[in-house]
Amino acid sequence: MLDVKEIDVAYGHAKVLHDVSVRLNVGETVFIVGRNGAGKTTLLRTIAGLLHPTKGTITHAGQEIQGFAPEEVARRGIRYVAQDKKVFSNLTVRGNVELAAHAAGEDLKAALKKLVDLYPKFSQFLETKAGSLSGGQREILLIGRAVVGNPKILLIDEPTEGLAAIVIDEIFRILNGMKENKVSAIIVEQNLAVVAKLADRIYMMKEGKIHHEIANPREIVATAELEEFL
Amino acid sequence: MDFISIAPYKRGIIFRDLALIGGAFVLLAFFLRLNWVIDFTIFAILVLSYDLLYGYMGRLSFGHVLYYGIGAYTASLFLVHVSPNPFGAIAAGIAVGAVVASVIGFIVVQTEGAPFALVNLAFNQIGYWLAASGLQQITRGEDGLPSSVAAVGFLDFNDKPTVFVFALLCMLAVFFLLKTFTLSPYGVLVRSMKENDDRVQFLGYDTFRYQWLTFVLSSTLAALPGALYAIFYGFVAPTVIIPFGNIEVIFAILIGGAGNLYGALVGAVAFKLISNILATTITRWEMFLGALLLVLVFKFRRGLTGYVADFLPRFRGKPATEG
Amino acid sequence: MIETLLYGFTIGAILYFFSIGLSITFGTMQIVNFAHGMVYALGVYFFITFLPFVGRIFPLALVLAILLSLPIAYVIERFVIRRLYGESLDYAIIATYAVLLMGTDAIKWIWGAAPQPVSDPVGVGIRILDVNFPLYRIFIAASALALFGALRFFFRRSIVGKIVAAALEDREGVRCLGLNVNKYFSIVFVIGSGLAVLGGVLYAPIATSEPYMGFHILLVAFAVVIVGGMGNLTGTFISAFILGMVIAVTGRFYSTAADTMVFVVMALVLLKDSFRKSWQRLTGMGTRA
Repeated sequence: MLDVKEIDVAYGHAKVLHDVSVRLNVGETVFIVGRNGAGKTTLLRTIAGLLHPTKGTITHAGQEIQGFAPEEVARRGIRYVAQDKKVFSNLTVRGNVELAAHAAGEDLKAALKKLVDLYPKFSQFLETKAGSLSGGQREILLIGRAVVGNPKILLIDEPTEGLAAIVIDEIFRILNGMKENKVSAIIVEQNLAVVAKLADRIYMMKEGKIHHEIANPREIVATAELEEFL
Repeated sequence: MDFISIAPYKRGIIFRDLALIGGAFVLLAFFLRLNWVIDFTIFAILVLSYDLLYGYMGRLSFGHVLYYGIGAYTASLFLVHVSPNPFGAIAAGIAVGAVVASVIGFIVVQTEGAPFALVNLAFNQIGYWLAASGLQQITRGEDGLPSSVAAVGFLDFNDKPTVFVFALLCMLAVFFLLKTFTLSPYGVLVRSMKENDDRVQFLGYDTFRYQWLTFVLSSTLAALPGALYAIFYGFVAPTVIIPFGNIEVIFAILIGGAGNLYGALVGAVAFKLISNILATTITRWEMFLGALLLVLVFKFRRGLTGYVADFLPRFRGKPATEG
Repeated sequence: MIETLLYGFTIGAILYFFSIGLSITFGTMQIVNFAHGMVYALGVYFFITFLPFVGRIFPLALVLAILLSLPIAYVIERFVIRRLYGESLDYAIIATYAVLLMGTDAIKWIWGAAPQPVSDPVGVGIRILDVNFPLYRIFIAASALALFGALRFFFRRSIVGKIVAAALEDREGVRCLGLNVNKYFSIVFVIGSGLAVLGGVLYAPIATSEPYMGFHILLVAFAVVIVGGMGNLTGTFISAFILGMVIAVTGRFYSTAADTMVFVVMALVLLKDSFRKSWQRLTGMGTRA
């Protein structure tokens, strides 16, 4: 349902992505792995509309969306969760969700319920300023925000980065739940355990190109090869 | 001197350009009023100095005119209180400008963007106030400070052609100096800092030192035309140091194109021509100027030399990788 | 002295009205908007023109002036500001300055360059302990407080306010939720312009209006916004009053230096980090930059 074909992306004169092609089918959870600087974040941001490719196409549900503004991409049901875990820190947790609900045209109460179902502890934190949440809580809030309005595709950038092991388990549980709900996702991740357990397919990126695609991760001794790659 | 040396063949090109530029200005002097061309020349030096700061180092300042004014007032005061020797006045103007720039620069260079532009404006405004009110006893405030120049040897600065030639030589000298600097490794460094300050620091350079040096150089060079102004007109008033004057300089560099020094010259002449002609022919010249400025920013941002750059590599503001 | 303090509050209030728009535009779009001064001046001149036609009913002329100024603000936003988004700061400054220049000249053309006085609409004062408090000035200071409260409510409770507050911090995040941030910024820009006109009109009876009034208040307002923190409305509120005081007090003791003193304060604030760093450099302390 999402088809990225041979895109080039550049920052000014510097080309960072070369002929990158990835595919996401309905209900799949696809991971993108690679070293820092490989271009994973750039790829995700380009799909989200924050960057525009100088060449190539991005097709979603039969329409070409490269060049769309980020809000247009989001309204098509493609939600991006950035790497920096930035929330609207001056708004409360409720306020954060309120914005998402307003944007998606969903009822606030329903959205809040979904958030609390996702992470019951949030019922105590609804009126807390989002800025005082911990890293893990922020990530969960961001994911919770992103799923308001039942988006078709999630683009998540390094969800477990910088988080403690216990919290990572929590994130894993949430992502797994999403997978079971048939939400399609492209996730950038460096935590191999999470990748191995959730991936339907894996793309390995290196120096702005797709180095290799693992179409059936269960069959390969994934950990060894990926570890060497990373 | 190794750091600021450049290849001999480049030096040859520079000398050739100097001759061309000099010739062009002399030609102008034949076709237009000499007063005007002297005006152009003095203003051109000011814009050249600003190009170093804005075009090469990428720092927009709203307070550059402060140093021009310091040059003008110091030179005048020198002529009145110390000696009518014009060279002394120029030296004094430049010296005081350099000292003030060093002190202010040390503090100010650590900011950037809008704060940098506005802090310099603040100092400019303070300077203006000092000239108009604070140090009124010395500067004669709004009334202005008259001065006269004595002849030195065969150089009589009361004779217009002499002033013109002298100013032109100063301009060419400044151009030569700046061209040499910007083509040298030092110049590459400055341009690199404009593009990516952090990276230059990671290479081991103390960017602060070079930014400060460039600021001081640029500001000191702005004091020179101020001193020339004082000598030529024999009268300075707070208008020489008024912050509004910065707009003229910015306008000129926009018209001509920033970052290659030729643009500064072209822009200075073009701006002065336009405003002189406009002021006498159109009553609503401010509105026209504003509209022109808008058009420039939205359509012709790279300035006249920017467009010529497509044909002649000479005019390109070279990226930091070349040079 | 107390009169001076009241005057300081009054100036501070006017500065606050004016600076809000400036602060928000900088906070949301990273654009220094010189044209703000133009809308302000134009609005005041509209007000002065309408006043005799509405039987000198202050509020009516005020409303008309604002109504006429809002479309102009919108046009500026649509055709100049929006095009400057993402561009380097220099171009924003120059372009908006150009608009200010054109507007000022237009004012000179239509209304002439002579200053225009407006009389105090209330014209009454209250006397407490031998000091004369012009009621009008108290009213202005009170309005600023009311505005502060209203804005707080707006940004904390209304959805538009929350969106703008969020966008001030994380523009990308708001867009990636599907919200058209530009539309909200436009709304806020126009509101900010309206507030500036409101402030200007309130100020008109106290000061004379002349074509360059936009320039003058702009410079001081920049100081307010910088000292208060760009995009920080509480900071703007506080710094507006502080700088208003600075102007009033300096004006009383050393009249010509009033405006300049504001710049001294601004420079000090802007440079506080630099002073510390400079000291470290000079004395060899602290880590290298």
